[in-house]
Parts: sequence; C-alpha cells; structure tokens
Amino acid sequence: MGYNIGMRLIEEFLAKTGAQRCESFRETADMISKVGFKMFLNTVPQIENFSSDGTSFSLILTENPLAEFVELPLTQYPKIHKELWYSQLYCGVLRGALQMVQLDTDVYFVRDSIRGDDKTEIRLKLNKVLKDEIPAGED
Amino acid sequence: MSSYYFTIIGTRDNPLYELEFSSFKAPASLIPGESHFTAKVKELLPFIANSSLDLVEDSQWLTPNFNLGRIDSFGGIWVNAFVTQGNVKFILCYDNPNSNNSLDNGISSGGSTKYDESSMKHFFNDAYDLYVKALLNPFYGANDPLVSPDFDYKIKIVAKKYL
Amino acid sequence: MRIFSLYILNKAGGLVFQKDVNPGIAKLTANDYLVLAGTLHSVHAIATNLKPAECRSLNETAQTVNGQILSSGKASTPNVNNLGLQHVDTDYFSLYVFQTLTGIKFVLVTSPVAKQDHSHESPLSTKGELRKQYELVEEYFKQLYVLYCDYVMKDPFYSTDMPIKSTLFEAKIKSVCEA
Repeated sequence: MGYNIGMRLIEEFLAKTGAQRCESFRETADMISKVGFKMFLNTVPQIENFSSDGTSFSLILTENPLAEFVELPLTQYPKIHKELWYSQLYCGVLRGALQMVQLDTDVYFVRDSIRGDDKTEIRLKLNKVLKDEIPAGED
Repeated sequence: MSSYYFTIIGTRDNPLYELEFSSFKAPASLIPGESHFTAKVKELLPFIANSSLDLVEDSQWLTPNFNLGRIDSFGGIWVNAFVTQGNVKFILCYDNPNSNNSLDNGISSGGSTKYDESSMKHFFNDAYDLYVKALLNPFYGANDPLVSPDFDYKIKIVAKKYL
Repeated sequence: MRIFSLYILNKAGGLVFQKDVNPGIAKLTANDYLVLAGTLHSVHAIATNLKPAECRSLNETAQTVNGQILSSGKASTPNVNNLGLQHVDTDYFSLYVFQTLTGIKFVLVTSPVAKQDHSHESPLSTKGELRKQYELVEEYFKQLYVLYCDYVMKDPFYSTDMPIKSTLFEAKIKSVCEA
C-alpha cells in the first residue's frame, strides 16, 4: 500500500529540492527525514539504530500526522491490536520512492504508538542498489 | 457541594456518553469527584436529561449561540444545554446549591449562579473540542457511543478544571 | 530566445509527450518524432561513454549538493545530465537535454543562440552567449519539471511511462513557454 504514491511523489521531491544521488545509505536516511518528511509532512523523524554494515536504520516518528486523532477501537477482536499497522502507508511510499531512484529496500513497521507502544518506529533495510538500472548520464 | 450529571445525546436522541461527578472545588470528600446524588435522583437523571430535549430544540432557534444556558429544571435539578453544529446535544444536570433541594423556585440571580454559568460555558466549549477530536478518529462513526477511555479521561480533566 | 517545442522521454527512451508550443518549426510525422526521441536517447547514452580513458568524476560538486540542501534547505537544480549529450547547436535551432534522477528526459528545441557578425566573431563571446542561453533554459526545465510532477504524476488517471494526454498539462506548459 502506498507504493504507487511513492513512485509519483519522488518526482516532486526531486523537482522541488534538486537532490542528487546519495553517496551512502546514511545520506539517504538524512535526506528522507530532514528533507522528505519535512517537506511533505512537516515533521522530522529521528534516525536511530543504524546497523553496523550501514544497510538498515530506523525512523522514529515523534509525531505522526496520519494518526493524529486516531484511536484503535476497543473490540473483542484482538486482531486489530496485533495485526493492524494503521500508518502502513508510509512503508509503501518510502519503498516506492526509493525504488524509483534505484534503491531496492524493505520497509516495515516495528512499533506504533497508537497500539500503545512507547514510540513509532519504521525500519528501512537496503537490499541492493540496482546499479544496472541507473540511467546513463550521471557522474 | 454540587453534583453534576453530564450526558451527550446524538442526533437520533440516542445517548452517546454519560458521566456523573461532583464539583472538585468543594472541600475534599472521601473520594474526590464522587457524585452525591441520592439513589432516587440517580435513577431519574437520564429521564430529566431526555425530557429536556424538547426544550433544547425549542430554544436552539432563539439564540445564535451554541450554549443555550439554563433551559429546564426539575425537582431541584437544573439543566444546562449546549448544541453543536451537527445537532448533537450536551446536557449538564446539577443540583442547585441555592435551592436546598426544593422544587423549582425560579431563576435566582445570585452571584454564585452567574459564576457557574460562565464555568459551565467553558466546560461545554472544551467538551465540544474533545468531541470534535473524537469525531476525527476514523474508527469512530457519528452517533456511535463514545467508549474511548481516553475521551472519558479528558472529559474528567475538563470537568475538574472548570466545575 | 524562443522555445519551439518540448519533448518528454520516459526512462526507456520512449516519447511520452511532444508539443510545439510556439510556431516557427516545421512539423514532422508522428513516427519521425518517435524516431527522433529514440535516437536522442541512444546518442545521449553513448555520449556518456565518450570520455578520457582515466576519467575521474568531473563534477565534484554533485557530492556536496545534498549536504548543502540538508544544511541550508535551499533547492538546487534537479538536472543530473552531467556526462551525456547536453545540447546541440545549429544555425537554425538549439536543442537541450535535461535528465532527472529517475531517468526522465525533457528535451527543449529553441531558436538558435543569437549570431554575431561572422567576420569579427570572437570565440569567447559566442561561448558566453551559449552559456547564457543554457542557464536560461535550465530555469525553464526546472519549471517544466515542477509542472510535470504536479499535473502528470498527481493525475490519478495517468499511468506511468505512458503517453501524456492531459490538456491541463498542455495548457500550463503553453503558458510557461509562450514568450
């Protein structure tokens, strides 16, 4: 969910910022949180838990505009609290956007504060840089 | 020490939320905020609130304000009401501290009553704010009962602040 | 400078949009436009390989651009066409190629750079003129790219990499390019 939004939204991100290809995944992380999230959602998530090989990190959302007024319903179905990631949209958007700049990633929720967790954490894992698909013409 | 009964009534005259409490400003009782309605009055409160709905509907067209002020009284219980843009009614019933639980003795214009009016107005406004926020929750449908513990907690905070 | 026409090429070099925004250029057949787009795409790609044998990165700034965006929040140019074909200048027209990080190419055909008198033309001043027009075109590309993401990418009825049929987009393009 959100993949197609990401594929389209990356164009706006590039058009309005003029960002160039990142040298490292750490730089990508900074661009996502400090430029991307800032521009589209006016919030800057923190980057934490960078893995030692530099291929995965967590975004910690201190505020979540998608779920500002959301409370999960109290129901007899425990599934809602165990299986529903309300803001799953973010994962698709991030994956779609990164795919378009030739970064193959897995994005998933680890914790979500509307489930009662202490913070909202999205994990990004870089699988591969699709070098063959980088369009000719760049440095 | 005055006790209050607050209820929210939906557009189909269905109850959405109710809460009984007493003034937090009064000298501390054993349990702060515990209501002191007699058992007999307790039974009657939902009926008093609902019977005032006709009066709410009459008076809502007479004023441009959402807050309708005091609209009804029954057996020493006074009723204030507030109606939202979406025609959801907030009803606040309370025992009149000046009337010594006698039957309706008309509108008294004592200083304390005036003070109460303005704090009730603030209470209604803040409750309206909380109601709107609850309405923004995608899992909440209009006219559903307000069962969220968070909403309940916040209403209690507002009650403590103003009443 | 007068803009004659705009071409938009998708990642694979397919023509997805072609519009003559100002009169003054001869029309080609629909097929010729496709061939032209494909050829430009290929020439652009081949040109990226034409470089000195031990070529180090020419454009050191590209690496610091992101750092600047992060620290100042100021936008820079979204053009990443550094090694490929950038422009073609002839007596009758100039052609400019702009490329985004996602591989989309915008091609503008404009009137040629103003010619000075041939007899005492200094190569330096011509170069200055070329540069000036190149920078002017760069500004147009920026605006066109923003229009593209607002009116094409955000159009829910548009599927990516397919020909652009939006009349709203055409109208916006016209108002930007009409001199």
